[in-house]
Amino acid sequence: MNIHEYQAKNVLKHFGISVPNGKIAYTPKEASAVAVEVSSHGPWVLKAQIQSGARQSGFFLEKSAGVAGGIRLVKNRRAVASETEKMLGNTLVTIQTGPKGKVVNKIYVEAFQKVKKSFYLGLTIDRITSELVLLAANVPDGNIIEKAINNPDEILHLSLNTLGTTSQQQIQHIMKFLKLPKRTLPHLEQLVNGLHKAFLGLDATMIEINPVGVTSSGELLALDAKISLDDNALFRHPDIATLRDDSDLDERKLQARRYKFTYHDFSGSVGCIVNGDGLALSTMDLLKEKGSGAACFINVKGGVDKDKIANGIKIIMTNPRVEGILLNILGGFVRCNLIADGIIAAAAEAGLNVPMVIRFEGTNKDMAHEILNNSHLPVIWADTQEEAVDKLLKEMEAAV
Amino acid sequence: MAIFVNKDTLVVCQGITGTQASFHVKNSLDYGTKVVAGVTPDKGGTLHLGLPVFNTLQEAVKETKATASVMYVPASQLKAAVREAVEAELDLAVSIAADVPLRDMLEIKAMLRGCKTKLIGPNTPGIITPDEARLGIFPVDIHKKGNIGVVSRSSTLTYEAVLSINRAGLGQSTVVGLGDDILIGVDFIDVISAFNHDDETKAIVMIGQLSGPFEEAAAEWYKRQHNKKPVIAFVAGDAMPFDHNMGYAGDILTNGYVSVQDKKDALADAGMIVVNTVSDITKALVNLK
Repeated sequence: MNIHEYQAKNVLKHFGISVPNGKIAYTPKEASAVAVEVSSHGPWVLKAQIQSGARQSGFFLEKSAGVAGGIRLVKNRRAVASETEKMLGNTLVTIQTGPKGKVVNKIYVEAFQKVKKSFYLGLTIDRITSELVLLAANVPDGNIIEKAINNPDEILHLSLNTLGTTSQQQIQHIMKFLKLPKRTLPHLEQLVNGLHKAFLGLDATMIEINPVGVTSSGELLALDAKISLDDNALFRHPDIATLRDDSDLDERKLQARRYKFTYHDFSGSVGCIVNGDGLALSTMDLLKEKGSGAACFINVKGGVDKDKIANGIKIIMTNPRVEGILLNILGGFVRCNLIADGIIAAAAEAGLNVPMVIRFEGTNKDMAHEILNNSHLPVIWADTQEEAVDKLLKEMEAAV
Repeated sequence: MAIFVNKDTLVVCQGITGTQASFHVKNSLDYGTKVVAGVTPDKGGTLHLGLPVFNTLQEAVKETKATASVMYVPASQLKAAVREAVEAELDLAVSIAADVPLRDMLEIKAMLRGCKTKLIGPNTPGIITPDEARLGIFPVDIHKKGNIGVVSRSSTLTYEAVLSINRAGLGQSTVVGLGDDILIGVDFIDVISAFNHDDETKAIVMIGQLSGPFEEAAAEWYKRQHNKKPVIAFVAGDAMPFDHNMGYAGDILTNGYVSVQDKKDALADAGMIVVNTVSDITKALVNLK
């Protein structure tokens, strides 16, 4: 689960991390009012709150938003209101949002902070060493990815322990690597220790401060903040779970999540029902190879409840963009007979108006075949996933 | 021979009395697996599926001399279960638990460092040596005894790979599901290395997928090996549109965004036989013969 910048900054404050003064606003009038609360004078920074990085270099789809990106520097209160008005309700596209972009419905109004220099700081998991790792780099042009590709040696990797205690030696190492002035030492200690404790304490999967600003007095400020939290650990953090903002998730995704399944939309016309991410990926690869593509897929992995399975299948059956359904199940934990029961229940409610090809393999496959054959639903059988894709595409062609 | 488990491996089941555990342990017993005991706190002294149940793993291991454990404990209890397995000095622990918190895995990996206990999983179908031992949730009727080792990140594609091997008229020595969580127990290198040392295994099928650095690490390692067996590799996710996470940290660790093609190139460069669909595994195996 990702949270917004303003939420992340609020959370990090509790771990002793300094952030510029800021407040959230939902209307231009509100933005103008909170501006004086965060600072008695300008300039202010207006930051579109969508869950994405690279907002500064992003652009709005609508002309009324103007040509500037999702981060705007303004000098007076009138501009606070007018620029907020331009962004609200419009769609911001960044390299991380995809071409559809995300609608901005709140603006974070922040006091502008003059800084001497800035650097990148990130905490995440190194999957090879299985350790928590701190990443740090001086990035004058702000392009950390360019550095990762062309000058990876200029990025510090430092393993952190699972206790939440960063050693003096490690702090010194970061000081030296980033060539930070001496007076920043106590501030760096507080920042790194705070992030280290926050990562473990919040059950985060990533915390990124891009950038950290160094003020003339040596203070370190988190000018931006991104936090991704571990969905599997939210049960330990009921307070944080309430920060979830689902406003940019569509109804089908939310429905699938209710049954603990995952649902994804794509641009093709085949609805896929599978039980596993790998199977979803390879099914999509096959469709692509045959010149077609998925409209959507639902992954019913772990499903052993007939009603939940039926509801999951209904999400695919009721998607108007689906012109054919491909059901590819390799039963292990998931049992094919329960999926068969789910198909019948879903078809009874939603109707089966498009061709459906089914490929069952594994646990209780024969039972599943018998159940569906007895139901007289017009399903088409396939033995392999290639055969399933071929048969379905042929049926869909014939239906046009 | 096979790797990690065979017909003589004595297996204990942690969390044996649950519904899913009962279903799958019964299947494993019918399959011929030497499951000798179960562990469920507060149910020690009882019998379940005809097996003695103990309160702790320590007691179960002391009484039965088991060397491997299959864990049907929920995600929230995995850390405690692995600690017990490490303390009992088991050779192998298999976890099928899904949704394990990352921080717990971070601590579990720290716990396993320098220990003899190997963890398979979590979030995996487990391990199966056809006709000998099944630890996990593999379908029972698709595997055939043979000389091809299988290792896969994806559960369902593991079954797919097995079917492709059968279609080539061959069978499997051992099949290992790594699981596809952010942190996993054994990885490609651990398993391929074991297959390289196993007389029964003649070739290896490896199934990777989009995201994570595990395929690249395996490629780099394989390239450096001298006595190695042929590896046929497939990587799923080519059709998946670019899906960026919110931050950059993940991409920094891989020196930029890594595509499925990048992974395939790395594996081919290391000398593996890279195929474009799972069913091409059949052809590649026939060509090897």
